[in-house]
Amino acid sequence: MSDTKKIMIGKLLRSDNTGFVAGCRVSELQAPTFGALVKVPIENGTEIYGLVSNISISDDGLVRQIVSGVSIPSEYIADNRYNRNLPVEISVLAVGYQEKERIYHLLPPRPPLSLDSIYLCSQDELCNFTSAGHFGYFRHILRATDLPIGELLAAHLKDARSAHDSKGDEIWLNNAAQELITFLRDDYQTLMSVLGALADF
Amino acid sequence: MKNSTNQPSNPKNPAIGYVVGGGLQEDLQVRLNIPAQEVQEGAFVVLESGDWRFYGLVTDLQLGATDPRFADEQSENRLPAQLAALLHGQTLYTNLSVLSALMMEIGPEPGTLGYESWRSAHLDAPTHPIPVKTVPRHHAEVRLADVSDIAEIFGEENGKEIFRIGETREQGHAVCIDLDKFIQRSSGIFGATGTGKSFLTRVILSGLIHADHASALIFDMHNEYGPDDTASDTGLPVPGLRNKFTSKVRLVGLGANATFRSTQTDFNLEIAESDIRPEDILMLVSELNLRETTASTLSALEKGFGASDWFHKFRNMRVNATIEDEANEGKRIPAPDSVAAWADQSGINVMAAEALHSKLGRLFGKRYIVEAPAADTLSEIIKLLEDKKHIVLSFSDYTTDLDYLLVTNLITRRIRAAWEVKTNNFRSGKAEEPRPLVVVVEEAHKLLNREMASQTTFSTIAREMRKYYVTLLIIDQRPSQIYDEVMSQLGTRISGWLGDEDDIRAVLSGLAGRQALRGMLARLQPKEEVLMLGWGVPMPIPIRSRRYDQGFWEELLGKKANPKKIDRDQLNKEMGF
Repeated sequence: MSDTKKIMIGKLLRSDNTGFVAGCRVSELQAPTFGALVKVPIENGTEIYGLVSNISISDDGLVRQIVSGVSIPSEYIADNRYNRNLPVEISVLAVGYQEKERIYHLLPPRPPLSLDSIYLCSQDELCNFTSAGHFGYFRHILRATDLPIGELLAAHLKDARSAHDSKGDEIWLNNAAQELITFLRDDYQTLMSVLGALADF
Repeated sequence: MKNSTNQPSNPKNPAIGYVVGGGLQEDLQVRLNIPAQEVQEGAFVVLESGDWRFYGLVTDLQLGATDPRFADEQSENRLPAQLAALLHGQTLYTNLSVLSALMMEIGPEPGTLGYESWRSAHLDAPTHPIPVKTVPRHHAEVRLADVSDIAEIFGEENGKEIFRIGETREQGHAVCIDLDKFIQRSSGIFGATGTGKSFLTRVILSGLIHADHASALIFDMHNEYGPDDTASDTGLPVPGLRNKFTSKVRLVGLGANATFRSTQTDFNLEIAESDIRPEDILMLVSELNLRETTASTLSALEKGFGASDWFHKFRNMRVNATIEDEANEGKRIPAPDSVAAWADQSGINVMAAEALHSKLGRLFGKRYIVEAPAADTLSEIIKLLEDKKHIVLSFSDYTTDLDYLLVTNLITRRIRAAWEVKTNNFRSGKAEEPRPLVVVVEEAHKLLNREMASQTTFSTIAREMRKYYVTLLIIDQRPSQIYDEVMSQLGTRISGWLGDEDDIRAVLSGLAGRQALRGMLARLQPKEEVLMLGWGVPMPIPIRSRRYDQGFWEELLGKKANPKKIDRDQLNKEMGF
């Protein structure tokens, strides 16, 4: 978790206990992906973890004007991408926090504040977070019924599996799938849509 | 999956599941966590619940799903194999229904805090399995019984009264029966024809004779048990009891000329006319199709000639014999030695007396009923039984029901009288304790059916002779034909396959868990498997019965170099007297 490898992906726009929204420039959009684990350090060394649950790009009057033009010169597109003052919005679902070296799969005690930096987690951090405890953070995902839960889980498990595989832990995915089935076995619809998404890895 | 054990698992005998529900009224439900085909109906299982251990019998297996749609949908076609396996592992399952029968306090684990105090409290009184009075806790670990569990419940073969009768069906662990307990009350061996009933009977009789704690009187209607025989299906020789226990068993044939293939009889039974009492005839009412007037005719005969002479006298009376009455102008009147003359004289209806005479003609023609037998063989049988010998009475060619009913009743009546006297003498301190006696009755429904049961000595034995040291071993293929009151008195019941609903109901009458055992009885493998149940066995269990072959005899007789001396007091105590 060395700071040198920290990849900042944006600054916080707004937040609450269950999640937050960060903004970044269009030109910075290479790093965050749907389902990626991100973190926001707050005071006292506490770090809040979340999963990228949505990335949205809004339009504005200028874009509308350009789009409605007959032909769009490439400089216009480049200018819009690099100089645009409307941020890309990255929605993050809070799934846990780390306090004094210990990871909790609980909602953070306080939300992060505006303009706090948000970073992409490293492979090590991803492994640490996902193997701490017993998949308690699935609760937060499964509760977010307005999100495409299956797709979010599939994206997250795909990321995490490759991180665990690279460390030689090949049964992690199995355990995760097992736990998901346990959580969802009374909800046929959701479970089948989650498993269907996992099957498409 | 989370390990829900209460006790450290035994690596050699891993858990097969855990308790998820049920109760005393209905079976316990056990979630199986091994493939269903590794457990069968009738499997003997052990449930570990803290300080208590429960013993039960698998009576049913049921497929279940957390949601019926998981079962409906063939998700293995939609999902990768690994994911489908995980899904099925959690949403589809098999539940065992377990009929819990016994429980035993085993105390805390050795080495734990409470163990020492528990152990010192139970030092003098080791715990025994007792009938279940409660249920194991949720998630109690369930495993298949191993050798030591079965030995704990059914005892360990000791070459004497703890007799191996077969093996458990899956793992082949030896299952024993306590023969002393078996003969302490009347018992029954049942099974449709061809289910190995007579082989099982041979095995048990061999065990009884070998243990030698009770005399056996075997009414061998089909000449199967005493003489050597040949198996009807395999054609292999089947050794008889006479030649295997030469010093203990006497083979008695019925009638002066009785012979059995290669086996010699020790002596032959002839019945003296004086041995036949009117009550012996009354038992043949339906067999001989006797009328209601029979009783009064017989009582007049007894009154006129005495209980021991009447048969001889009546047999020699003539029917339709007339003479000229000189005093009455030569009118024909019944001859003085005719039935009619006697009837007139005794105030009995002539037609009734003549009808009885003609119907008793079937008895008069029996060659084993003689006026004066060469020896009192009937008393000899009783003497031998008292003398700790075992008797096989083979009926030779006299195979009709009439022979069977008459002879068995006659002998049993004598035995009953003899043992009652002996017991009363013993109780009043005048004689030593009578030798327990087991009367083995084949085709028992002929003697113990609804009509006969009220009259024959057998029903009395089944009901009350336990106190007089006499019990029955009933062998039958139609238990439903046996009078309920007799069936309900049977302590141990060992049954092979039965197809008829009524027969199954009869065998299970008066037992707990009938519904569960019913299916088990109907699904036994013919020729091999039997279900043991009732008072004489600690809990019902289906077993593969021991084979009656060369190996059996080697095991039984080969190791008897030093037969253990039986302590009489110990024996009596064990037998509950």
